[in-house]
Amino acid sequence: MILFFLTSGLFLGWSLGANDASHIFGSAVGSKMVTFRKAAIIASVFFILGAVIQGSGTSQTLSKLGAVNAIGGSFTLALAAAITIYMMTKFALPISTTQAIVGAIIGWNFFTGNRTDSNTLEKIVLAWIAGPVIGAALAILLYIIVKKFKKSTRIHLIRFESYIKTGLILVGAFGAYSLGANNIANVMGVFIPAFNLKNLDLWIFTLNSSQQLFLLGGLACATGILTYSWKVMQTIGSNILELSSEAALVVVLAQSLVLFIFSSTGLSNLIVKTGLPPIPMVPVSSSQVIVGCILGIGLYKGARNINFKVLGEIGIAWIICPVASGLLTFFLLFFMKNIFSINVGSKVSESIDASVQTTNLATYGQSDVSNIIKYLLFGLFIFGTIGIIYYILLENKKRREMQRSEEKFWKNMK
Amino acid sequence: MPVFTRTTKNLIIKIDEFFDNIDLGLLVFREGIKAYLDKDMDAFHRHLQKVDNLETNADRLQREIENEMITHSILPQHRSEVSTLIDELDEIIDALKSSLNEINIEMPDIPSSLNKSFISLTETSINAAEELVPAARAYFKAPYTVREKLLKVYYFESETDKISFSTKKIIFQQMDELDLAHKAHLRYIIHHIENVSDLAQKAADLLSGMAIKIVM
Repeated sequence: MILFFLTSGLFLGWSLGANDASHIFGSAVGSKMVTFRKAAIIASVFFILGAVIQGSGTSQTLSKLGAVNAIGGSFTLALAAAITIYMMTKFALPISTTQAIVGAIIGWNFFTGNRTDSNTLEKIVLAWIAGPVIGAALAILLYIIVKKFKKSTRIHLIRFESYIKTGLILVGAFGAYSLGANNIANVMGVFIPAFNLKNLDLWIFTLNSSQQLFLLGGLACATGILTYSWKVMQTIGSNILELSSEAALVVVLAQSLVLFIFSSTGLSNLIVKTGLPPIPMVPVSSSQVIVGCILGIGLYKGARNINFKVLGEIGIAWIICPVASGLLTFFLLFFMKNIFSINVGSKVSESIDASVQTTNLATYGQSDVSNIIKYLLFGLFIFGTIGIIYYILLENKKRREMQRSEEKFWKNMK
Repeated sequence: MPVFTRTTKNLIIKIDEFFDNIDLGLLVFREGIKAYLDKDMDAFHRHLQKVDNLETNADRLQREIENEMITHSILPQHRSEVSTLIDELDEIIDALKSSLNEINIEMPDIPSSLNKSFISLTETSINAAEELVPAARAYFKAPYTVREKLLKVYYFESETDKISFSTKKIIFQQMDELDLAHKAHLRYIIHHIENVSDLAQKAADLLSGMAIKIVM
């Protein structure tokens, strides 16, 4: 049963991968600098790493907005968010998992009669606005720097493009890592209080309960990236504004920096030391940031280059997404509670800390989940190794055939 | 990753080598025509052989450049344009080779009174193509300067047209001693030489558009 409850989270993870993760490499793939296959593999690997290593930071912010205190509630919430994202992704609109999950948490708060923490909500909404604005400003700045560098150094176009290509891969990997660290809380954050898995020893390192959940979520995201992100990548990369290769790099770099700014406690502490207010640790909407970055470059080049129709559609999706997710959550919770008699949560007493209330929720089926994760990782390791060997052999074969065909051609020419 | 492989370096070298071939081809063609007009057939055949080798080498380089750009996914956004540009430049060296071959086969009888006009026509036509090569090189390193370099191509192309026009006028209106077949043959040879500047102009048009796109 516990695994069944996790499926909605995994579905949400798949949606996150298909939608939000594709923003990292969307501009690179759209500008044809990086192939989809390469982008998908790099994004998957680094997303999982980011989620497992650094994923726990932003989950606290979401739990402040609404502490879901029943696994049935977590399941319904994640399901509603996932359905919303799936529907939006169907129309190739780059919406955000953060918006969907925030909408769902507010829906849960309404249903259970809990108060929505207006301060946290304010922080999140502010980040939704600040993210794209900072992204646009950074993108313009970086774009000017790259252009000036190109002009002043008189670097050969082919060499410059090869730097850009390498940069896109490195920055994309960094972006995917940051996204995993920043956004995995959206997928698995609502399940953390309900699970208390035993530590998983993998010889080299040990994964705690949250990390195991983040790993599962990361794997679901990777599946989403590999199976369904192509369409969204095309929307991001080509439809809003035709991106040059340097613009593609700037967009990914600006986006990664924004994600980093809103995830790094170290940077926030540094800013506090200088006497400025701290940066809120909020899961940022990567879709809003990337659109902001692309818009920034579009504005710098002249607004005539921007496809305002696509931009308008995205704007509408931004409003629809949290509202639809909240409403869907509310109705699904109603059905879960009244038709299936599943406990979807209750009003949290103001005097008792939410974490105390949730500690008694789940201590069932833990070893099963840990074992499944262990076997899953083992299977993936074997599958990955075989895949890599097959890929290398295939590439070598292609190269040999190409060489042979060239030699034959020139021999016949002579 | 592309930065850590030799592909980029090799490709840059090959593109430079290709441009060198075109440059050399133009130089040799000019000398070949001069040798023919001076009735120095040994030198002419030597130059013809040299152009032939340069053309074969340019073809090989063109193929290798295109193959490498596709297999290593280099310049994905500009690949087709760069390939077209290289193709246009290759057409120039093809035209040089075929012109010298036509002259070698047909052995046109060019009256010595027209030598100066033919040399002038060849110089101007070749100048147009020669000015194209630095512009094409600049596309890769300083695209901002491409358009100003191309101005000379257009200038020399128009000068070639003028010289061609006046030479043909002399042949058909002032040289009554030549029969019509002879006149038509000379006109045909003039077209061959003039064709080099026309091809240069065609490539310049393409390059001009490419430069705007990359600068914007």
